[in-house]
Amino acid sequence: MASVRLRGIQKSYGDNLVIKGVDLDVEDGQFVVFVGPSGCGKSTLLRMIAGLEDISAGTLELGGRPCNGVDPARRGIAMVFQSYALYPHMTVADNMGFALKLAKVAKAEIAERVGRAAAILQIDHLLDRKPKALSGGQRQRVAIGRAIVRKPEVFLFDEPLSNLDAALRAQTRVELAQLHRELGSTMIYVTHDQVEAMTLGQKIVVFNGGRIEQAGTPLDLYERPANRFVAGFLGSPRMNFIPAVLAGEEGATARLRLPDGSLAEVAADVAQARVGAALTLGIRPEHLRLQFDPAAAAGPGGIPATVALVEYLGDVTLVHVRVDGVDATLAAKVQAGGAAPASGSRVRLGFDPARAYLFDEAGLAFISRT
Amino acid sequence: MNARSSLAWTVLGAASAIVLAALWAAPLLWALSTALRPELETVSSDFHWLPQTWTLDAFAKTLAAGNLLRWLLNSALVALGVTVVTMAISLMAAYAFSQLRFRGRSLVFGLAMLAFLLPFEALLVPLFRTMHQLGLVNSYAGIVLPQVVSPVVIYVFKGFFDAIPADFREAATMDGAGPLRVLWSVYLPLSGNIVWAMAIVTFIAAWNNFLWPFIIVTSTDMMTIPLGLTQTYDAFGVRYAQLMAAALLGALPVALAYVLFQKKVTQGFLAASGLKG
Repeated sequence: MASVRLRGIQKSYGDNLVIKGVDLDVEDGQFVVFVGPSGCGKSTLLRMIAGLEDISAGTLELGGRPCNGVDPARRGIAMVFQSYALYPHMTVADNMGFALKLAKVAKAEIAERVGRAAAILQIDHLLDRKPKALSGGQRQRVAIGRAIVRKPEVFLFDEPLSNLDAALRAQTRVELAQLHRELGSTMIYVTHDQVEAMTLGQKIVVFNGGRIEQAGTPLDLYERPANRFVAGFLGSPRMNFIPAVLAGEEGATARLRLPDGSLAEVAADVAQARVGAALTLGIRPEHLRLQFDPAAAAGPGGIPATVALVEYLGDVTLVHVRVDGVDATLAAKVQAGGAAPASGSRVRLGFDPARAYLFDEAGLAFISRT
Repeated sequence: MNARSSLAWTVLGAASAIVLAALWAAPLLWALSTALRPELETVSSDFHWLPQTWTLDAFAKTLAAGNLLRWLLNSALVALGVTVVTMAISLMAAYAFSQLRFRGRSLVFGLAMLAFLLPFEALLVPLFRTMHQLGLVNSYAGIVLPQVVSPVVIYVFKGFFDAIPADFREAATMDGAGPLRVLWSVYLPLSGNIVWAMAIVTFIAAWNNFLWPFIIVTSTDMMTIPLGLTQTYDAFGVRYAQLMAAALLGALPVALAYVLFQKKVTQGFLAASGLKG
């Protein structure tokens, strides 16, 4: 096991700077997930840690040892590729033992280590097969087995579940978490799937445009996003954003004027902002309340809206509504079994001021006072 | 297209194939027919498709002459040497051009491909001078070395390597393999059929090569089969029956090699063309 320390890491291709200075600490034995949209640089950074991409600037330390120019095979790292990269002409056992064979480990020890890893992953019956005779899930296990056999200090995973179907992905996710508990190794996992990030990661690092937007525990990022990007990226459906103007401040509460002219209150410290500033109100779908009985819908209070679409997902119902002056539709989660409005009906939206978020013009979050 | 028209096209296609096959086979059959005649009959003014007198005399004399086996051995050593060295050089060059990142890679690849534009005949004199200065005239090395650089083979291998996902190279690199090991343990097995196809084509080309051995070899003992065939004459002129017998015997090993590896060659070319075999 080893810690990973990145300081001022940059990567450029010619004049194009794609990783713009990353500082990050991954503790010994920690499961860290890099998450972000396509092209944000998360896979590039993983490949730089692996040694498959040169580091243009900055320092990389593995277990306290500077590793910038060290060969990939000498970094004590194993990587599971998105495509699995199993050698098609070798059997499962040969694939798993290839690194040990290159390291001139004795045949008996190779067989013993391959057998032990295969037992952990329950693929002992597949050792004589070629990769083309395996299912996607089995290939994925072999790829992990190939990494385990090397007894690396750090495991790197590059979107390893993206080629699996939804059911197998969920099952493998659980198995990966168990594997981490059993091995206790440091693991860095790249994904664009926020469910994987939230369920697997002890620490999540959100990337955007070659920079870290925020790093922290899953709950921390979900409940206290540092900016609008992180708030919008984590959560499904994404957080609803409504443009607002700061109308005033009363004690611990910011008063906002919404596009339809109505007023709303949010518990946030806006002492730094001036009255009249253009802000963004953020409300997660599960925190948006719908009032849709005719009397309440026609009455005062809340934000008037029109139901655009109702999606019944089984466990919850998603209600998409349109609000005057807001370009995108807003989503609200209603528990299944509860009543849901019909498409085209008028409703009013309410929310708890303590569970709403407020972002300034640059997208940075105001700190909630509650 | 109706059934009658379809049948007509099938018949026309088959007839064309038969005509082309006959045109291709005619010289070969004529060589066989000549080799099976007595020497006197080959210069007779009466034309006959088939021998009037059937005899294996030409084959017997050719084999008894003693030089044929020596030339066969020379051809085998030269063709094998050219094939092995060409494959080794071309595979390493193609892997470097395809997978390694180094300054001037495109320029060096472009220069290698420029060799396409140079006819071998234009290089005869400088190559001969070089070989002469190295003392390699009338030696196997002298015959083999100028034939081992093949831009076509490099180009084909590079195209093949380009199509192999880089993940394999990266996984092998992380497993501790250097470039040569990656080439040997991963890229070569993944390119099996195209390597066989290129090797057979190179072998046949080297076996049949006449011009370079003709320039670099002056000793009868160092001659290859195509060169040796020019020696089948006596005081009365060319001995056509023996010439054809020697040509057929000389072509036999390479024809056998092709027949043995035909499947791999076909699969290799299909793989290179992107079609499924």
